[in-house]
Amino acid sequence: MATTTATITIASSDIADNSFSVSNTSTIYTAGTNTGVTKTTGLGRKTFATASNTILLDAGLSGGIAQDVTADKAAKVYIKNINDRGDGTKYVNILLATTEIGRLYGGDWMFIPWSAGDGKDIEFTAYDATPTTLEYIVFYE
Amino acid sequence: MATTTATITLSSADLLSDNLSLSSTMNLYKDGTTATGLEQMNYHRLVIPAGTNFDLIPESAALSEDASYVYIINKNTVVTDYVTISINAEVIGRLYAGDWLFMPWDCDLTAADNDSSIEIEADTNSAIIEYALFHNGETLATAADE
Repeated sequence: MATTTATITIASSDIADNSFSVSNTSTIYTAGTNTGVTKTTGLGRKTFATASNTILLDAGLSGGIAQDVTADKAAKVYIKNINDRGDGTKYVNILLATTEIGRLYGGDWMFIPWSAGDGKDIEFTAYDATPTTLEYIVFYE
Repeated sequence: MATTTATITLSSADLLSDNLSLSSTMNLYKDGTTATGLEQMNYHRLVIPAGTNFDLIPESAALSEDASYVYIINKNTVVTDYVTISINAEVIGRLYAGDWLFMPWDCDLTAADNDSSIEIEADTNSAIIEYALFHNGETLATAADE
């Protein structure tokens, strides 16, 4: 097994009357065990220049990396929009199949569990056709 | 405005043939701004009973088409305990004991079932959950006895 950890720290000195800070570290285990995941796509980076809905991670394929991501287990996905924030009006919408999750503005990242499975693609739609660069990594079993 | 940052660090010494170390910090800014921070947040801790799918963070018009960010952690300690997180009947994934997520949330009121609430269901055992919503305003209900 491998030991892979994901740590988050959210901090603000002025969003509340007192400083706010929360920090947690999780170890990425296979589903329902204390055994670390041993598979990953590795860190990928790709630039897209389209405003059309595009598949980033294609679940349920009969071949390729995504075939190996077992559905309804403990897969985790990290995605970051590498673009500059600019004026803050441009973003990529991240979707799970046809369901919108939220907007990643330039510099934003997300880290979510992924049920994967047939048709559960992670997709995105950019605000416009300006080249958008995304980094991503999947940990899975 | 407020300055709120979210930092992730992913690391492993033995998943690959060399060390994996990735760290990224983002600011939680309002939509359509270059650097104006979100000023509002909700932070909750609660016990989710097992076996029922609940709206954890209900949708609202004030949250629509805007920049919001959600943090959820499963504070259970039994490794087989998990909660399922979904939006509009689409399962995002499972948070096992100790797992957390951080994601943007658009609260899309045009969704097919007109329900973009973030939902949660605990499997088998109840789950202790902490979650935060950083947002740009929410719709408050007028008091019934107003």
